Amino acid sequence: MVRPAAVVLAVMLVLGLALSAPALAQTKEDTIVYSLQSDVDSWDPPASVLREAIILGYHAFDHLATRDLKTRKVGPNLATSWRNIDDTTWEVKLRQGVKFHDGTPFTAKDVKATFDRVLDPAKKMTARGNHAKIKSVEVVDDFTARFKTDGPYPLFVERLTAQVMQSEKAMREKGDQWMGENPVGTGPYKLVKWSRKQEHLLVRNDDYWGAKPYYKYLRVRIIPEKATEIAELLSGGVDVIKAVPPDQMDVIDKSGGARTATSPILRTAMLQLDQAARGGPNPFTDRKVRQAANLAVDHDSIIKHVLNGLGDRVATGINPMAFGWDPNLKPYKQDLAAAKKLLADAGYPNGVDIVFNEGPPTVEPAVQQTNDAIVSDMAKVGFRVKRNYIGDNTVLVARVKEGKFGPMFNWSWGYYSVFDADAILYDVFKCGESYSYYCNKELDDLIATGRNSLDAKKRTEIYVKAQKLLYDDAAYLYKWGLRGVWGISNRVEYTAPADEVDRLFLATPRKK
Amino acid sequence: MRRYIARQIVQLVVVIFGISILSFGILHVIGDPVLLLLPQNAGKEEFERYRHLLGLDRPLYMQYWSFASRAVQGDFGQSWYGNAPAFRLVIERMPPTIYLTLAGLLVALLIALPLGTIAALKRHSFVDTLCTMVAVAGQALPIFWLGIMLIIVFAVQLRLLPASGYGTWQHFLMPSFCLGAALAPITMRLVRSGLIEVMSMDYIKTARAKGMLEWRVVVKHAFRNACIPVITVLGLQFGQLLGGAIITETVFAWPGVATLTVDSIRNQDFPVVQCAVVLLALLIVAVNLLVDILVGFIDPRVRAGV
Repeated sequence: MVRPAAVVLAVMLVLGLALSAPALAQTKEDTIVYSLQSDVDSWDPPASVLREAIILGYHAFDHLATRDLKTRKVGPNLATSWRNIDDTTWEVKLRQGVKFHDGTPFTAKDVKATFDRVLDPAKKMTARGNHAKIKSVEVVDDFTARFKTDGPYPLFVERLTAQVMQSEKAMREKGDQWMGENPVGTGPYKLVKWSRKQEHLLVRNDDYWGAKPYYKYLRVRIIPEKATEIAELLSGGVDVIKAVPPDQMDVIDKSGGARTATSPILRTAMLQLDQAARGGPNPFTDRKVRQAANLAVDHDSIIKHVLNGLGDRVATGINPMAFGWDPNLKPYKQDLAAAKKLLADAGYPNGVDIVFNEGPPTVEPAVQQTNDAIVSDMAKVGFRVKRNYIGDNTVLVARVKEGKFGPMFNWSWGYYSVFDADAILYDVFKCGESYSYYCNKELDDLIATGRNSLDAKKRTEIYVKAQKLLYDDAAYLYKWGLRGVWGISNRVEYTAPADEVDRLFLATPRKK
Repeated sequence: MRRYIARQIVQLVVVIFGISILSFGILHVIGDPVLLLLPQNAGKEEFERYRHLLGLDRPLYMQYWSFASRAVQGDFGQSWYGNAPAFRLVIERMPPTIYLTLAGLLVALLIALPLGTIAALKRHSFVDTLCTMVAVAGQALPIFWLGIMLIIVFAVQLRLLPASGYGTWQHFLMPSFCLGAALAPITMRLVRSGLIEVMSMDYIKTARAKGMLEWRVVVKHAFRNACIPVITVLGLQFGQLLGGAIITETVFAWPGVATLTVDSIRNQDFPVVQCAVVLLALLIVAVNLLVDILVGFIDPRVRAGV
C-alpha cells in the first residue's frame, strides 16, 4: 500500500521543481524596479481608464507633445511643431526617422489611424471623450498632419500629451484584442513579458530616437499591499514607489536605504457646498453662509500640523499649476468673529445644522483627520455638523453624480491631467454638470468664452475674472492643492513628477 | 465504494449549480457595474449603450441562462476589465494559489504532527502545556500581522528572503509559513486527542505486550488510526485555507486566484467573479471528495460501511 504522506511529499517535490523560474539575464545594476498597487487592464492606453495604463504607456509609446517635468510646459515630442492655420485647423509637423518597435517607420498615416481609432464610436475607446473636439485628421504628407476641430480648441496641444501614437500596421493587421497585450509603440522601452497581476518586464529600445534610458531593463511589479511595497523599497526589492502615506515618510527617510520625495500634483481638494440646491433647499444657497464656512477654518495650520506640510493652499478650486491660475488672489484667512457675524446676518444667530457627507482617503491622504479639524473649526462659529461617512469611493462618486450628496461633501478634482483652468471649471463649477453643485450664469458665460478662444492672453484674463467671482461668491469651501509622496531607493536618482506620471526612463544611478 | 463516489459526484454538481446561481444573483444585486466601467465624464447615452452591449438590460433569468449555458463549456465570457477571457485569467492564476495552499498545508503538518505527538505522549506534562501554548499563539496571530512581521524581520532587517513576489523556492517560505501557522493549531489538537484516544485502545496494549518498541507502536499502529479525523478536518479546512490565502496573497504580492477574486469583486467584474467562484467551489468540493475517498482507503470500515 502506498503511504498517503509519501504521495503528498512526492507531489510537493515535483511541484517545487516545476516552479523554479527560468533565469533572467538581468543583473541588479542594469535593472530598475518600479511597483504599482494594482495592475493595468490592458497595454492599449486609449482603451483603459486607469492611471497605471497611462504610466506604462509612457514607457512603450510616445506622445505627439509631452510635458517637461522641470518647467511643467508642454513641448515637442513626436511632433516637432504645430500651428493654427485658422480657428479650427491645426497643422502638426512630425519628427522624421522614428521607428516603431516592429521596425516600421512612424508617419502621418499612424497619427491619422491613431485618432480615427480613438474617435470611432464603435470602438468605445475610453479616451474618446478627451478628443471629442477633434472632427478629423488629414494626412498632408508623410510628416505633416492636419487636425480639424469642432470650433476653436484651446486645449488642443495640452491634449496631445494624453494620446499615445500607435502603429497603423498593428491596427490593420492585428486588431484591438492583440493590441491589448502587445504594445507596438515608438517608446524608450519594449515589453518583453507581462505576467498579469504579477510583473511586467521591459527592455530598453536601443533604436530609440530620443535620449536612451540608462537602465537596460525595467521591471514593474504589482504589489497590492502598501506595507509590503514599503518593505520591498527598504530591502532593495523595488527602487521607486508612489503614493506613500504621510505617516510612513519617516520610516523611509530614516531607513538609510531609501528616501522620500514630494511634488505638488494637479489635484485640488475642497468641500463642495450645495449652492445649486440639487439636493433641495439648504443653508448654503445663501452666500453669507458659504463665506462664513470659508472664514471659519484655519487651513494653514491644518496643512502644517495634520498634513505634515503636504498641501498648498488655494484661493479657489484652481490649482497653481493650471493655466489661468491667478497668483494675486489670496485665500480666505480664518476670522471667527467675521464668520459668526455673517452667519447671524444670514438668519442663524444661534448656529445652523449641516450634514457633512465624508468619503474614504482613496485619492486624498489623511482626509478623515483633516475633516476632524475642519469640523471642529466650523463648530467654533456655530455650524453644528452631523457627519455621515461613506466608505466606498465608487458609491460616493455615484451619489455625487446623482446630485444627492449635498449640502456639504468631500471632493477633489484631478483635472483629467489637463493643466488648464477649464478642466476644473467646466466639470465642477458649471451649472448642470454632473459633478457641479454650483450654478451661476455669469460664471457659465466666462467658461464658454474661455473654451472658445485660442488667444492665451484673453483666456488668462477670463480665468482671473472667474476666480475673483468664485472667491467672492465662496462657491465651495476651498481647501488646498495636494502633494504626492514618492519613495525612492538611495541607489537611484529620480524626480517626482508633478503630473503623477512616473517616467522610469529618466532614472539614473545616484551619484555617490 | 463506487456508488459512494457516484453519489458524491452528483452532490458536487448540485453544489456547483447552487453556487453559480448565488454568485450570479448576489453580484447583480450589489450595484451597477457600468458606473465603474465608464470614465467619470461619460454621458447618459454612453451608459445606456454599455448596459445594452453587456446585456444588462435583459431580464435576469435570460442573463443567467446565457451565462450558464456557456459556462459549462468553459466560456465565462470576456473580463470587463482585463480585455481577456475570464476563464483564462482565472486558470492562469489557479496554480500559484494551489501551490501556496499545499505548501501551507505541508507547513501545518510539519508543525502539527511532531507537536501533537509529543503533547499526546507527554500528556499533562510541561511539554504538553508548552506545545499547546505555541499552537494557540499561532492561531491567535492574525495572518496579516504575522506576514508583515516576517517581512520586516527576514527581508528588511536580515535581508535573507525576498519581501514579496513569486517564482523561486525562497518566495515560498514566508507565505506558506503564514498560512501554515494559522492551520497548525487545530491540526495539532486533533493529532493530540486522536493519539490519546488510540493509545488507550486494546490493540496498542497488545502491541506493547508483544514487546514492540514504543516508537514503532506509535508510528506504525497508533498513527494510522489517529490520522483519520485529521485528514477529514484538513479537507474541511481547505476552504478556510483558501480564505487565508486571500490575505497572504495580498501581503506577499502573490499572483494567485484569491486576490484576483477580491479585485474582481471590487471592480464588479462579473465574468471573472463568476468563473472564479465556480472554479474555487469546484476545487473545494473536489478536495473534499478526494478526502472522503482517501479516508475510505485508509479505514476499511468506511469502505465497508457504504
